[in-house]
Formats: sequence, structure tokens, C-alpha cells
Amino acid sequence: MTNITNTVPATNQKLKEAYFTASQGQLIWQRFKQNKSALAGAWVLIILILSGIFSPFLTPYDASIAGRDKDYLNGAPQVPSFCDDNGCSLRPFIYSYERTRSFKTNFRWVTEEKTDLEDRRYLTFFSKGMEYTFLGIKFDRHLYGVDEGQIHIFGTDSTGKDIFSRTLTAVNTSMAVGTIGVLIAFFLALVIGGISGYYGGKIDSVLQMVTDTVRTIPNIPLFMALAAFVPDTWSSEERFFFISLVLGLIGWTTLARRIRTHLLSERNQEYVLAAQLCGASPHHVIRRHLLPSFTSYIIVDLVISFPYMILSETALSFIGLGLKDPVNSLGVMLQNVTSADVLLNYQWYFIPVIFFIVLVLAFVFVGDGLRDAADPYADTNK
Amino acid sequence: MLQFSKFFAVRAMLAILTLVMVSFIVFTLMELVPADCAERYVAFKNSQGSVITPEDIQVERVRLGLDQPYIQRWGSWIFNAFQGEFGDSCILRVDIAQLLGQKFWLSLGLCLSALLLAYLIAIPVGIIAATSKNAVLNNSLRLVSYLGLALPNFLLALMIMLFSTVYFGDSLTGLFSKEYRDAAWSTDRVMDFLGHAWLPIFILGWSATAFAIQTVRALMSDEIGKLYVTAASARGVSGSRLLMRYPARHALSPIINSVGFDLNRIFNELPIVALILTLTEAGSLLIEALARSNDQQLAGAIIFMLTASIVALNFVTDIILALTDPRIRKSIVG
Repeated sequence: MTNITNTVPATNQKLKEAYFTASQGQLIWQRFKQNKSALAGAWVLIILILSGIFSPFLTPYDASIAGRDKDYLNGAPQVPSFCDDNGCSLRPFIYSYERTRSFKTNFRWVTEEKTDLEDRRYLTFFSKGMEYTFLGIKFDRHLYGVDEGQIHIFGTDSTGKDIFSRTLTAVNTSMAVGTIGVLIAFFLALVIGGISGYYGGKIDSVLQMVTDTVRTIPNIPLFMALAAFVPDTWSSEERFFFISLVLGLIGWTTLARRIRTHLLSERNQEYVLAAQLCGASPHHVIRRHLLPSFTSYIIVDLVISFPYMILSETALSFIGLGLKDPVNSLGVMLQNVTSADVLLNYQWYFIPVIFFIVLVLAFVFVGDGLRDAADPYADTNK
Repeated sequence: MLQFSKFFAVRAMLAILTLVMVSFIVFTLMELVPADCAERYVAFKNSQGSVITPEDIQVERVRLGLDQPYIQRWGSWIFNAFQGEFGDSCILRVDIAQLLGQKFWLSLGLCLSALLLAYLIAIPVGIIAATSKNAVLNNSLRLVSYLGLALPNFLLALMIMLFSTVYFGDSLTGLFSKEYRDAAWSTDRVMDFLGHAWLPIFILGWSATAFAIQTVRALMSDEIGKLYVTAASARGVSGSRLLMRYPARHALSPIINSVGFDLNRIFNELPIVALILTLTEAGSLLIEALARSNDQQLAGAIIFMLTASIVALNFVTDIILALTDPRIRKSIVG
């Protein structure tokens, strides 16, 4: 923090005082704010999470099979425009389409775009559409839509589901899986790492041995082995919780090790001894003195482990061992993209990938920024 | 010398102990799979038209030794596993050692080449990143290493497939051309293999490279500001000679420790990348064993062998570290 204290004029005692009496959270926030890329990451992250939560409103159609557009299968993304050969319009529009099959198309179903003036479909905002419940209240308004037919700004998949709607729902799913997984991992890490670090000695050695063993086994193959237990008859909700559970059950090792190391080094510190000499109970020592000394580290670690959870879920779903169709997640959406047909003709299937790379990158930036901000020695070293 | 052999013995013991624990976890998982091998086999026969009674299942169970107590079966499994015998596959009814054989070594070869590639790139690039003051270079390297995290290998594989299909009309998949797929090993087949293998090797090594660059960079930046480096440069040593003789030697020895974890990382990607690029080796066999047929014997064998290679690599790196750094030898034996 030398750079801040140096820039503060000596006369400005108040600022100095504010700095020395600031809580840990305030100090971390102060340092985090100075990191531009982390701050940008945080904004992106907030926007993505919010758009995931508000996805029923932001997306025009239901992401499940109920919202399919049966006239626009494997449809290309539709970009609203203001002008075409028939002149311009103040309202952005797209064209209507028709599925036809004739001698000309070799008797295959082909979607044809009709570009005449009367075939324009105008974009509308806050349009009426599918009913959905949000916070227990029923709504039927969506951010955008068209006056007739449907609009698919990211195109549609082979069953006619809107890819944009699916993408935002998938962000939501991934966040939920990640949150549950991280919480389970966190709980396990706290218990195992806590016991190991607080008691030390033989218990510590045994627990470390177990932790190291779990760390040695490659995660994804192990995930796959565990995920194979899921019977086909399970509903998508059961599957969802099972996958989150498995992610948590395997993801705890790194955090457990960190907590243990920290406890081992902290429990011999003088302030702990002082508290013990004052007659504080072990419970009090752990809760009031040890835990606060590394909550910031724990939070940082949780944020950092989030993308791993998301990516593992994606990988599992992608190979068909994770979530299945009615639930939307990136892995589910990518399940069929390796076929030559998709690669050659329907490249818009890959649009959701961009969202997920941005989501993971945002997490990584925020995690890195938090880690630097939570380290009290980060500035003094430079 | 005595100290070293003691270190060697302790490490070997620890490695074997880890393997035994791994085998316990893997074996327990195999046991937890609903329906055992006997039931599966008999169910399969049932689908072929022969009528099966509960007695038949019992007979099959006795034949496979499934009626013995858990610990005993685990003991014999681990005993055989250390000799490379994993019994017969549950579904395919073929000897697993034979089924995996060449495929496993091929995959291991791919993964180790990916590891080698990762470090061949990461060490020089990491050192340059740590020493260079060039902001553009540093930032672009940072971006690459972030992408290594955000774009996991299988997504990278998908993207490469997408672009190569669109622009070259070839999805670049498979390990062999059609005419060499089942041919015996020959010079031509090796050349054909190398012509196909570079892409999977690159993709497998991708995120390991990104992580290794980060590690090398961090270790080098810690080391580079130290007094002995300043002292050396005051004595007139400069340029790459200074870097290689002083900070790099210190910074690079902890990296040897991370090799095992990087192999773990590559193994993580192997099954999925194998699936996308349609490589016919152990990785996709694992998916086959788990996703399609729930073949617990085969899956257990593959996971055990993957973990065993990591443990073996960790053991080797420990020994190398001890050979190069006397402090490590002392610390373990105490």
C-alpha cells in the first residue's frame, strides 16, 4: 500500500486515518478497483449472471422443445436490418420464410426467405409471447419479438429451438451447477482441511495422503466413471443435482490443502497464543481469530474454482454423461456439432461457445484480480 | 549414496502406497456400479435367446469369483493389476490387457509428447515473458495463458475442426489414413502416423502449455530480482548467459514438480479430445466403456493405468529432483 500512503499529503490526516482503520473488505475493494481488467471482468460477469437470471424476459421464446419454431429448422441467424432493395424503414425488420419442397430443391425440405415488401416482419419491443413465471408472478412480456412469426437472432437448431434463448438459459444452468458444486467442494474442503490443519500430527498425515491420492487420479475420467452410475430413468432434475454433487465431491482437494496449510501456519502465531492465554475456548479461537484471517483467501479460491466446475460440466455433458436434453447447458448444446453436416452448413451452432469463453474469462480475470487484491503484500513486493 | 538409496526407497514405498489407495478407490467405484459382471453377462445371453435362471447367475458369479468377500477380491484385483492383468472385460468378454495393449501405449505416447511439447514451448516463452519489459508482448502472453484456461482443449479441438472443415474441406481427424489403419507397423505407417498426430499432440498440450508458461513466468520473476543475480550482473555477466546460469537454474527445478500435474491435466482432456478427433485409442475406449456399456472392469483398468502413469511420472521427477538438488534428499529422509 506504499503508493497510496505516499501520495496522500501529510496534512490530509483524515485520509490516512481512513486507510489505517479500514476493514479488510474495504482494503481489498480499494485494491481491486485499481485493477482495470479485473473490474471489466467483474462487469461482464455481473451482466452475464443477470442476463442468465432474467433470461425468460430477455429471450423471446421458451428454450425447451415447447418453444420450437417448426417452420425454421436449422435456420440461419436473422439479423434485423433497416434497409433493403425495397427502400428503408424506421423500424428494423427481418423477412418471413417458408419451407418448400419441389423438383427444384431435389425434393428436400428447404427454407426459403421471402424478401418482398409485404413479407417484412417488424421488430417489436416488450412484445407479448410465451408465459413464464418469475419470482412467483406470471409474465408474458419479452424484451423483443416480431409482429408476425418468430425471430431467431442466433438461428435455430435441428429441432427449431431458438439458439439465443437456449444460450442464455444455458448460462443460468452452468452458474447453478457451478454454485452447487463449489458449495459442496467448499464444505468438504473446510471440514477435511480444517481437521487436518487444526489437529496436525498423524491425522494430518493420513488425511493428506487421501487428499493427494484423490488429486492424482485424473478428474475427467473419474467424473465419467461416476456419471455412468446415473440410470437412464432419472429425471433431468435428479441428473442435475447428481452432476453437481459429483463435481463437488471431486473438486475439494486444492482448497482443502490450502486451508490446511494456512491453519497449520496460523495456529502457532502469537495472537492465537494470546487468545488462548486469555482463556478463549478453541471454538472461539477458530471462529473469531483463525477464520477471519483467511476468509478472503477462501473467497478468492472459490471464485477461481468456479470456471473449472463450469468447464467440467460442459465436458461431461458434451460426451453425453452429464446433463441431458430438456436441460440446457453448453455441453448439451454442443452434443451434435461434430457431424460434418453441422460443421459445413450450420456454423451458428457454435455461437454459444463465445458466451462461455467470455463467462470463463470473466471469472478468471475477477479471480486473479481478487487474489492480487486479497494479498496484503502484493504492493510492498513491487 | 546411502542417503540417496534411502530416499529412493522411501519414495518408491510412497508411490506404491498411493497406487494401492488409488486401486481401493477405483475398485470400490467398480463395485458400486449397479449390477455386477455376472448379471450383465447373463443378461446379454438372455438377449441372445437362451433362457436364464437365477441359478445360472449364481453359477456365473462363482465362476468369476464374485461370491468371495470384498477385501479378498480387492486384494486379488490389485495383485493382478500390478502384474498388468485386469481380467476380462465385462461386456466384450475379451482379455483387457489385450484389448488395451497397443492403444494404451499409443495414448500414453501422445500424452507424453504433448507434455514434452508444452514444456519445450513454455520454458523459453516463460523466461522471455519474465525478463522482457515489453508491455505488448507481456499482455499478449497473458491473454494466451488466460485463453488456455477459458478455451479448454476440447473446445479448441472443435474450433480447429470447424475452421479446417470450412477452409480446407478436411476435418483433420483420426490418427491414420485409411490404408494404414490396420496395417502392420512400417516406416510408411510411422510417417503417416506422424502426419496425423501433430494436431492431437498440439491440442492435448494446449492448456498444459498455458499453465506451464504461467508457472515458469512466476518462478522466474521471483528469482530474477534476487541479490545473487544483481551480483552476477555486476561482475559483468549479462544477456542470456546471465539468465541461464543464475536465475533459470534455480527457477526451473520446482517446475519438475509440476510435470506430474500437467500429465494429469492432459489425461483429463484425452477422452474428450479423442472423441472429437475420432482417435481410436484408450481415451475413446474409456468413453465407450462408460458411456455406452457401463463396463466397470474395463473402466477401472483404464483409470488405474492412467493414474499409475501419473504416479510413475511423479516418482521419476522426484528422483530427478533429488539427483539435482541435495536439499530435497535431506528433507524427505530428515
